Amino acid sequence: MIMTHPGLPVYWQVLIGVFMLIVSLWALLARTPVKTSHIGWPLERVPLIGLLVRFLNSSPWPLLFAKIVMVTIFITVIIAGLQGTPIPERNLATVLTWNLWWAGLIVAIFFFGSAWCAICPWDAIATWLVRRRLWGRGRLSNSLNLKVPKWLRNVWPALLMFMALTWFELGVGVTLDPYATAVLSLLMVVMATVSLALFEDKAFCHYFCPVGRTVGYYSQLAPVALRPLDPDVCAACTTLECYHGSDNVEPCPTHLVMGTLKENTFCTSCGNCVQSCPDNNVSWHLRQQSVEIKQDARPNWDDAWFMLGLLTLTSFHGITMLDFWYEGISEFGVWIGDSGQLLLSFSLGMLVIMFAPIALYAGLVYWAQRWTGKVIRYRQAFSVLAFASLPLAFSYHIAHNLNHLIRESHDLLALFTNPLGTGTQPLSMMEKHERHLQMIISQDTLFLLQGGLMLFGFWLAIQVVRYRAFALYSETKLWVLPIIVFAILIHGFDLWLMAQPMTMRM
Amino acid sequence: MRLKLLIMLLMCLTTATVYAHHVLGRPAYSLSDDSNTPPSMQVETQIGDFYVTYMAFPAFPQPGQQGRVNLYATHRDSGKPFDGQVTFVIKDDKWFGGHKETLGTQKIDDGVYRQGFLVNTAGDYIIRAQFFSDGEPYTIDFPLKIGQVSGIGPIGIALIIIVSVLIMVSVMQRKRLLRGKIQVAHKDADS
Repeated sequence: MIMTHPGLPVYWQVLIGVFMLIVSLWALLARTPVKTSHIGWPLERVPLIGLLVRFLNSSPWPLLFAKIVMVTIFITVIIAGLQGTPIPERNLATVLTWNLWWAGLIVAIFFFGSAWCAICPWDAIATWLVRRRLWGRGRLSNSLNLKVPKWLRNVWPALLMFMALTWFELGVGVTLDPYATAVLSLLMVVMATVSLALFEDKAFCHYFCPVGRTVGYYSQLAPVALRPLDPDVCAACTTLECYHGSDNVEPCPTHLVMGTLKENTFCTSCGNCVQSCPDNNVSWHLRQQSVEIKQDARPNWDDAWFMLGLLTLTSFHGITMLDFWYEGISEFGVWIGDSGQLLLSFSLGMLVIMFAPIALYAGLVYWAQRWTGKVIRYRQAFSVLAFASLPLAFSYHIAHNLNHLIRESHDLLALFTNPLGTGTQPLSMMEKHERHLQMIISQDTLFLLQGGLMLFGFWLAIQVVRYRAFALYSETKLWVLPIIVFAILIHGFDLWLMAQPMTMRM
Repeated sequence: MRLKLLIMLLMCLTTATVYAHHVLGRPAYSLSDDSNTPPSMQVETQIGDFYVTYMAFPAFPQPGQQGRVNLYATHRDSGKPFDGQVTFVIKDDKWFGGHKETLGTQKIDDGVYRQGFLVNTAGDYIIRAQFFSDGEPYTIDFPLKIGQVSGIGPIGIALIIIVSVLIMVSVMQRKRLLRGKIQVAHKDADS
């Protein structure tokens, strides 16, 4: 028997639908948007939170401690996956990796930006092994420090890795296999280590890591960011310790200069700039969530594809958790003559679902281009307007993940006290029902959060369309309509997905 | 002889193999609604004209423990159960080589094909069900884990790769440094 989670109620669907129409109309009639300041509010000056921020900035030890904790948990996951029970809901490896970490990570970005990358165990283990130091500037001679080939200096590898991860997760079913989960985790460590041993800086984090890049792009929408306390100090700086590092602190792993930093995409929150700045001029800032994506983030062709990939693969995740997916893919398998494990059917289905919305977007951008009659390169318009896809993906992604986090995260104490699941039995139907009924928060509160996120995502997407279209065409008129149509179609589809009963993962 | 080889080749080419851990055939470990029976592992999949359900009892057999697999195959269109003979083979779950043994050939019994097994060595195995329908050969593989399999393999492979790369990098860097020193020494000597 398959257990499902109830979808968003009708009143939320109607409310969000009406809101989408009103906001779309407003976007077509509203006045030209005004550029806003990107300077935030230093968190150091916020009562209580400021204390914590100052403590984190004071020395490398808090971060090192957090890394050690994460690596310990990671090693436990590996051991549990390889040696523990194959029952996924009783093994720490599968529950922690897929139900808590992968689902919670996206929610965490909403509050803490790319903070995860700072404590990532894959990178921590790789750094310790290659640099042979727990903290501080390691010997560069332990790495070949090769330059990453020019054709790899983009996020295409990360997009391919993200597609592969989705394929393994949903197609091969790694989420339900503790052993495969552990092997996949080990593979990530091997790739991070080999990359660090061969290439200069953190090429894996910068170009290859699917999780890091997902975190990076979504972090454009985070309310916190590492920025200079006083921009004038950075403007006058000639030594650029944030970029080059100091005697004891490593340089920025992704080649960022704090004085000119305006986007979070490639910031891994490692804190090297905080530690190396001789003027203590770098710290965490609270900022308007939309400022970066509306105006500061630079558009690139590969970035646009990654953001669109995030959008479509996120929806694809939702589709595969609907009841009819299994029947549909089975019918499709029969139609194309696929048999057995149906991986060909799954792969084709994934590609179609991934690229159909991108083709739609490409067509609508072309329509907008023709409509304006302005001489702007198609690639540029495609790259600039793709920013609108990010809030749509982010809001749906979090709303979907809240189902996993809130409805499926139970018995964690039992799981941590018996991470290998020794002597455990599969969940009985009674236990499944109990889990289903015992939610961390009430169902109405969950719907409120999910509905609120869907409203927020659409509002932000429309704002992005207005600002970006203005930056592109120097005015916003009816030309934004094709991209608004795209936002309505995609968000409308995601809303429909949210309204469907969702299959319980484990 | 040539004809036999040709038939064998055709059979191999037209055989559709089903692997474990797949889209439809995700293993599900379950207890029945309120019984105290041991947990079973169930895999559902489709092959050619048939929907196939495979169940293994117990889900996690130990070495030397008697186990059983049940197989149901129903025609995709008519829903009628397949009623021919099914041969069960067990083999090591390895990419290359590995031992293979026929467990038995079973006739349908109340709509189900039942095959017992007893394996004495812990490890990952494949239970292969083979049957013919309308002259077409069908071969379906299902996973079977006996006892606790060592997890050292993946860790060992990961360690070997990492250590090999680190040693290689270290050697190359030493050579590079040595070359640099020699070049500096040559320059000093020339000047």
